[in-house]
Amino acid sequence: MADFQTSTHKAKWIFSQQDLKEKYKAANQRARQALEKYGATRMKVDIDGSFSYAELQSDANDNAEKQSRPKPLKVEDEQLLRAFYEFKIQDVCDAFKFPRKIQATTLIYFKRFYLQWSVMEHHPKDIMLTCIYAACKAEENHVSAEELGKGIFQDHQLILNNEMLVLQSLGFDLIVYAPYRALEGFVNDLEDFSGATVDVIMIKAMHKVAAAVVDKIMRTEGPLLFSPGQLALAALRRANEECMVFDFERSELFQLYNPPDCAYYFIVYHILQNICRYLERVLSRQHSIHTSSELSSSLHAIDLLITKLDTQSTKDLKHIDRKLRSCQDPSSHDKSKKKKHKTKNGGSPEVLDLS
Amino acid sequence: MGEVDKLLLPKKVADRYLKGVTLGEGTYGVVFKAIDTKTDQTVAIKKIRIGKQKEGVNFTALREIKLLKELKHPNIIELIDAFPHKENLHLVFEFMETDMEAVIRDRNIVLSPADIKSYIQMTLKGLAFCHKKWVLHRDMKPNNLLIGPRGQLKLADFGLARIFGSPDRRFTHQVFARWYRAPELLFGAKQYGPGVDVWAAACIFGELLLRRPFLQGDSDIDQLGKIFAAFGTPKLAQWPDMVYLPDYVEYQNVPGKPLRALFPMAGDDALDLLSRMFAYDPKVRISAEQALEHRYFASGPPPTEPVLLPRPRPKKESGNQKTSNLSHHDGLIVLSPPRKSRRVMPDREGHESIVPQVDKMDDHQSEVRQRTGESNDRVPMSLDFSIFGMKPPSRPTINSADRTHLKRKLDLEFQPED
Repeated sequence: MADFQTSTHKAKWIFSQQDLKEKYKAANQRARQALEKYGATRMKVDIDGSFSYAELQSDANDNAEKQSRPKPLKVEDEQLLRAFYEFKIQDVCDAFKFPRKIQATTLIYFKRFYLQWSVMEHHPKDIMLTCIYAACKAEENHVSAEELGKGIFQDHQLILNNEMLVLQSLGFDLIVYAPYRALEGFVNDLEDFSGATVDVIMIKAMHKVAAAVVDKIMRTEGPLLFSPGQLALAALRRANEECMVFDFERSELFQLYNPPDCAYYFIVYHILQNICRYLERVLSRQHSIHTSSELSSSLHAIDLLITKLDTQSTKDLKHIDRKLRSCQDPSSHDKSKKKKHKTKNGGSPEVLDLS
Repeated sequence: MGEVDKLLLPKKVADRYLKGVTLGEGTYGVVFKAIDTKTDQTVAIKKIRIGKQKEGVNFTALREIKLLKELKHPNIIELIDAFPHKENLHLVFEFMETDMEAVIRDRNIVLSPADIKSYIQMTLKGLAFCHKKWVLHRDMKPNNLLIGPRGQLKLADFGLARIFGSPDRRFTHQVFARWYRAPELLFGAKQYGPGVDVWAAACIFGELLLRRPFLQGDSDIDQLGKIFAAFGTPKLAQWPDMVYLPDYVEYQNVPGKPLRALFPMAGDDALDLLSRMFAYDPKVRISAEQALEHRYFASGPPPTEPVLLPRPRPKKESGNQKTSNLSHHDGLIVLSPPRKSRRVMPDREGHESIVPQVDKMDDHQSEVRQRTGESNDRVPMSLDFSIFGMKPPSRPTINSADRTHLKRKLDLEFQPED
């Protein structure tokens, strides 16, 4: 399916920053209310996609419970947790050697799911696994639930149990567009543009750098805000800038030629200039759908998202995870305390290991 | 709970849809007719069980939902809604009256050259749209071409369809019912393109002209034999790549028959288009889009307006509208394609009559027992053959052995795409 213009992706799943803010806030509010009302936020999900809040057994010490009522997560906490699990998604997909397409589809499913739900209602670890499973199915690269569960030491029944909920939350819109294909298109176009003057290997290297930037973009809100083409173009531009700014000796382009010489520097400089001119041209020919200033500001916004991701602090994650456990299911509070002692190795995200 | 509940996802419940008669029973669930109370539109709802299956939600259903959500075209069946309800996944489709197989089989229908042109044009329009969106249908046959209340033809059953266009991606060749399978598939090609759908469309074109399936092979080998007997064994110059196909075997050289002898009732333009759609080399075969540009569609007679196309009528009129489908008895035996639900044609006069057709499906038999309600003497067109005491050709679909293979190939293959 290669028509983004008429896709459900374009029609239903591209939002404004404001939309996203409101959606995240609404989901968070709902979970807070549930916590007030039921003392827990976790939802019970059935295989047919039906769901309900798991009401806390009203113990005799109802009053005592009220005093030590767990604190809900803040919207920002939720965002950090999601970001952490998006990172995990890439990890798991890499471990399974899934193609980029599946990884990207999983991430988009995951993001879309949490537009409607709070992480307090459905634990992101479970949803992550089901999103991977559903993405494999939708991309015709089927991996059995059992195999998937086994590979990461998780109960596969959990994956299946959440499948209908996830599909339904996605509105059954399963075809999604990742920026990788668009990037490929730009790179091919760039080759044509550059003609014979530029080393093909160099362009390939640039493609690789840009694909790594796309990997990063996939963990931002970018895929919910911009079209895959815009994301790809932003990645290409950023990759180009990175190569220009960075010390050549450390850039990936440099590794291609050993030992480097003046001629090499000249070639690199030449190609980077070429890409600049190419980008200018792409920007200027956008008159039909977007004005070039609109496109520039989109690219700029995507750049900011990447920068934000790079500077995101993970040091609070451990604390947030503890909060999540206690508000999902306060009765497990003691257990989680014990667990905490076992894995006391600082604030690194690894504490939240899947096992 | 109430307040919070209201804030949750809008959960659609079946009481949006007023349930009507059962239209058929497929391998993965029941299809029933219903009224969408929101739009007053008549719909067909496919119910798919979602029990505790080992691999969760049914693949075929998922594939169909996934693709139909994106493919919106007047000649492609519309998926109106999909939702889980009471342990079943419900797919809501626009309601279609009948299908092309019923039209072809109905001996009371005369198809004029203009009618045939109209049917094949709508088929190609739907197909060209799929191909433009990089989707292969892979199960084109008259039974999957549904016909709506205003005569519009729509491609349906996208359970075998898939996206193509990724370089080097391999597919299974076990697709299509045998009679509609292109020669490259019969030679075991794993990499193929939209040409396979065009070949099948050509078979359907031929079937409209002949009023019987054109190439009725009873095995894959025999199917190739039938193809070669009609068009002659392909020469290397005609199809240079065929020798590289995995299951290629040399066939005894037979000369073909002139197309005019095969389709004596067809005009020159029709024959020319047919010959291009039946080109052996998939690279040479005309595309659906090019076919629509063919002079056959520009020259006279112009294709019949869909609304004026002849469609099967119920054999007898029945005034009884209260028939319940609880009262069955085992009736006539109808040979019918296995796997799929038979589509029955309810009355076209617009009143809500109930046609109690429940077809029992069995994958391992090609026989389908047709149960008819006692008090309803309306007989669907699919019974024509039995009535005339004729044996209708048993239509092969994908047999169960193929299907296991197919499932393995379609679902379990794991190949990096990018």
